[in-house]
Amino acid sequence: MRAIEERTGFTFPPTAPYPVTAGKIREFAAALGDANPRYAGEDAVAPPTFAAVLAADAWDGLFTDPELDLQLKRTIHYDQKFAYARPLRAGDVVTSTLTIEKVRVRGNTAFITVSVALATVAGEHLCTATSTLLHTWEDES
Amino acid sequence: MSELAGVEVGTELPPITVTLTRASLVRYAGASGDFNPIHYSDHFARALGLETCIAHGMLTMGTALRVVTDWCGDPARVLSYGVRFAKPVPVPDDAEGASVTFAGRVTKVSDAVATVTIDALCGEEKVLAAATAEVALA
Repeated sequence: MRAIEERTGFTFPPTAPYPVTAGKIREFAAALGDANPRYAGEDAVAPPTFAAVLAADAWDGLFTDPELDLQLKRTIHYDQKFAYARPLRAGDVVTSTLTIEKVRVRGNTAFITVSVALATVAGEHLCTATSTLLHTWEDES
Repeated sequence: MSELAGVEVGTELPPITVTLTRASLVRYAGASGDFNPIHYSDHFARALGLETCIAHGMLTMGTALRVVTDWCGDPARVLSYGVRFAKPVPVPDDAEGASVTFAGRVTKVSDAVATVTIDALCGEEKVLAAATAEVALA
């Protein structure tokens, strides 16, 4: 049994708080080529998929845990879903908390489903980002 | 938010066509913090058996949602959004890059929430599968 299977249901500690800024939102919207006026100005909201930037922060927990033997460079993003309570806004200070929801291992590959809960440091829930990651271990035989 | 009127099953959203070049990938890498080298280096892309660099899945996913937010105006209307990354988008190191066309249509309306299904085509390839967003109408 792989170590990741034994950790199904495990929740990592929250990431360090991330301050969402108007400048970062503008940069991210520009990278999407998106000129929506809601992404500009001091009261900007973030493009909905900006939540992935914060979720990926929490993924680091998977790849830096030596017991799990997982490498980002051997991982493919298989699917992604977001459920929003409200948009992220400039001024939000956000932590991301990752839970290993489901693991299916077949041979040297694993489908790993993780959920990342985004919340403000004041405890307001913002978004749940659920991802399936396809990981392949090098052949050991 | 004002009411988004006249939305029914079958409503078509205006499609958009986007050109992704290496510059787009570098820009998204910087903005997102995803510096996986398969998105900017042919050397590393080939080491994984790819012919050339591929777009970040999240760049394709984020761009696809513009079909919805351009249509509904306020991104705060987006209640949920999900996709499966069906095929990569290869982005050659040339002036043309890759062209991806996104289209959307309303596939369900219930309790003032519209479900939009998005199609994403790069050439003949469907690059996103099961791409749906829920949009608040009121």
